[in-house]
Amino acid sequence: MYQEIVEKYISKNYQVKTDGNVLIYEVPSSDILKVATTLYFEQKLPLKTITAVDERKEHGRFRILYVFGVPGSSVFLVPYITLSGTEEFPSITKQIQQAAWHERKIKTFFGLEPVGHPDHKPLILHENWPENLFPLRKDFNWQQRPEEAHNTYQFQTVEGEGIYEIPVGPVHAGIIEPGHFRFSVAGEEIVLLEPKLGYVHKGTEKLFEILPLQDKVKLSERVSGDTSFTHSLAFCQAIESLSSFEVPERAKYLRVIFSELERLANHFNDVGFVMLDTGFSFGGANGTRLREQIMQWHERLTGSRFLRGVNTIGGVTKDISADTSKALLQDLQKIQKDFREFIDISEDSASLLNRLEGTGQLDYQIATDHGVLGVAGRALGIVSDSRIDYPYAAYNKIKFNIALEKNGDVRSRLYVRIKEIFASFSIIEQALASMPTSGKLVFEGKVELRKNSYGVGSAEGWRGEVFYFVVTDNEGQITRVDVRDPSFINWAVLGYAGKGNVVPDFPLINKSFNLSYSGHDV
Amino acid sequence: MTSIIIWTIQLALVPALSPLFVGVIRKIKARFQNRVGASIFQPYNDLWKLLHKDEVISEDASWVFRFAPYIIFAVTVIVGASIPLFATVFANNSLSDLLVIVYLLALSTFFLALAGMDTGSAFGGFGSSREMTVASLTEGGLIFSMLALVFAVDSANLFKISEAVSAFPLVAMMPIMLAFAGFLIAMLAETARFPFDNPATHLELTMIHEAMILEYSGKRLALVEWAAANKLLIFLALGANLFFPWGIATTVGLMPILAALGWFVIKVLLLSLLIAVLESSIAKFRFFRLPDLLFTSFILSVIAISLIIFI
Repeated sequence: MYQEIVEKYISKNYQVKTDGNVLIYEVPSSDILKVATTLYFEQKLPLKTITAVDERKEHGRFRILYVFGVPGSSVFLVPYITLSGTEEFPSITKQIQQAAWHERKIKTFFGLEPVGHPDHKPLILHENWPENLFPLRKDFNWQQRPEEAHNTYQFQTVEGEGIYEIPVGPVHAGIIEPGHFRFSVAGEEIVLLEPKLGYVHKGTEKLFEILPLQDKVKLSERVSGDTSFTHSLAFCQAIESLSSFEVPERAKYLRVIFSELERLANHFNDVGFVMLDTGFSFGGANGTRLREQIMQWHERLTGSRFLRGVNTIGGVTKDISADTSKALLQDLQKIQKDFREFIDISEDSASLLNRLEGTGQLDYQIATDHGVLGVAGRALGIVSDSRIDYPYAAYNKIKFNIALEKNGDVRSRLYVRIKEIFASFSIIEQALASMPTSGKLVFEGKVELRKNSYGVGSAEGWRGEVFYFVVTDNEGQITRVDVRDPSFINWAVLGYAGKGNVVPDFPLINKSFNLSYSGHDV
Repeated sequence: MTSIIIWTIQLALVPALSPLFVGVIRKIKARFQNRVGASIFQPYNDLWKLLHKDEVISEDASWVFRFAPYIIFAVTVIVGASIPLFATVFANNSLSDLLVIVYLLALSTFFLALAGMDTGSAFGGFGSSREMTVASLTEGGLIFSMLALVFAVDSANLFKISEAVSAFPLVAMMPIMLAFAGFLIAMLAETARFPFDNPATHLELTMIHEAMILEYSGKRLALVEWAAANKLLIFLALGANLFFPWGIATTVGLMPILAALGWFVIKVLLLSLLIAVLESSIAKFRFFRLPDLLFTSFILSVIAISLIIFI
């Protein structure tokens, strides 16, 4: 079925198994570096995630799976290596920088050692977590509280005359999530910035293995609260790709509409807060006001301000009636006009634009080395948008442009959001107009998952691509869910964007990325 | 008898009214943001609340941290009593000298910066470092803008300046307006207002004044906050009564003094409105652009002085 893709990307030496839209093939450990670098650098395929599965009980092995996307085709290539009798695997970080945090995460949660990895620090779990306890191994007892350890965490240090360190967080003065930042500063200039996260680790990936299927959907809504809809959408899509039924057409359109409403609410919020953090209070007041209007529509349409309980496996639970649809359209037109006016006024403020331009500039090479996603990537002209790359729901029937900027500074990230807001209005209008007027909202049969199989869900959240990789065992039960919020990828570059700026500009830079702590810490 | 009454009013007026003007500025800003905003008397409630709270003092704090709030507050009260507020009858007060006032205020800034560094917290440290950077750059503009008035009236006594300027013909006001522009910029820097500092921010890393007082709580925080409000009113009063001294009472009597008090409140309200409009319509400047602005303040004052001396 995917013969062309197999021939183009996969060497004939490997036995390829087609599994839904996943092409999976085993590669000897000694070859993985070559296979990964060929796919990544020569074929220019984006690396989606690297994850491990613990199959010691059934097959006496661990496996490390490397998931690559093939943009434009909705197909994912998964070369994997098998570790039997060893707990070490070759690190590819020295060639593919993006793999660094993935491999550290595997080391922390599976206890598998990436040989040749330059950074030995654990990721997400802190120094009070016992060193030899690996929560994603199957023999880990999740109901027992582990003993408190007292290890140490070594921050990177800079030496030199006049260099001093500023520790900030994890508790901040504003109502934001917890995270620690260690600045090494010369005067006001940031020389080094190291974020330490993990304060909101909730054991989500372990819970995904334990909870019943419908509760798994609810769990996915809580991975990162502000992206409830897109997270549950990506998870549901991963499950749907593991079974053979079709999602009803009307549900596909409704998923598009809710996705874009979520994007609108959060982009309004970000536009407001980026302006507020420069001290431009007019922008702050208007951004939050517009967000609230969308949130009230969320509640009116679904009963939840965060669109929770809407997605379900096989479709959606909430409908938009013809009357409501008309009212929604009218109100959105009003909001759009309002927003246009607000942006026009803000653009007249020289002091505002001056704060945004050139601040927190991210280097293009660093961004591509780390595989930066979403708004931060598009602000540098990196064309990646899973609504177009891996069309899902009804996005293939809707016309819109990817919002791009090229400077990669705070201003570019703000303008990507502004452009996406206008695109979202148009997408919702198109979806409301072309949605089938009647029909089922959800597949009503019994959901059965393929055995020993792999499901992939990719959906473009307002921050960037939310990615789920799901593995089933030989009874068709879900045995592993890998959650990859775009924040996991983008947190790795925040330090680079901050470097060289003055300390008082950091909150603005951080806000212009507005990454999820919860989505990173899972 | 009358002089005792006037002296009492002079001493109490600044601490009594200063929280009100903080509340007024906040109220105007809230209205600009389409918010209702808290009552203009809210700062009084805040002070009352803080004065009744327990405080936490770091074990590493020295006497500087403990005494600084009293020194800072006392300085602002003394300065408030030594500047022309509504009457010019205190001309003989030796504290009313321009340089004495400016350096008394610098003394309070000095102790505040010391207190900021005292506990060894990183925020206090960079707050103090920023405050001293801004303060040292502001000093030139502040002194020179008022020096223009000294040259214009040949006296460094603030009451005499006020009395003399109120009798100036309109033509003579031109260079004085230039000096006022220089003073205004220096005033915004000294009182931790836009575009130098954001008194409403919650972002620790962007703070200047707030970063220095992060470690304070309870009564001492109340004193520091109150002193900051006093300082704001002192600068508003200096701006209103040195550069626009119209309506100030030059003779002792019930009616002139009541009228002068009315004028004082109106002028200060107008300046508060100016600050609120400024804070609602522009973004804060980048830290490294602040020296440019302070340099502008200095240049404006120097031009004003040259005009006064040579024309």
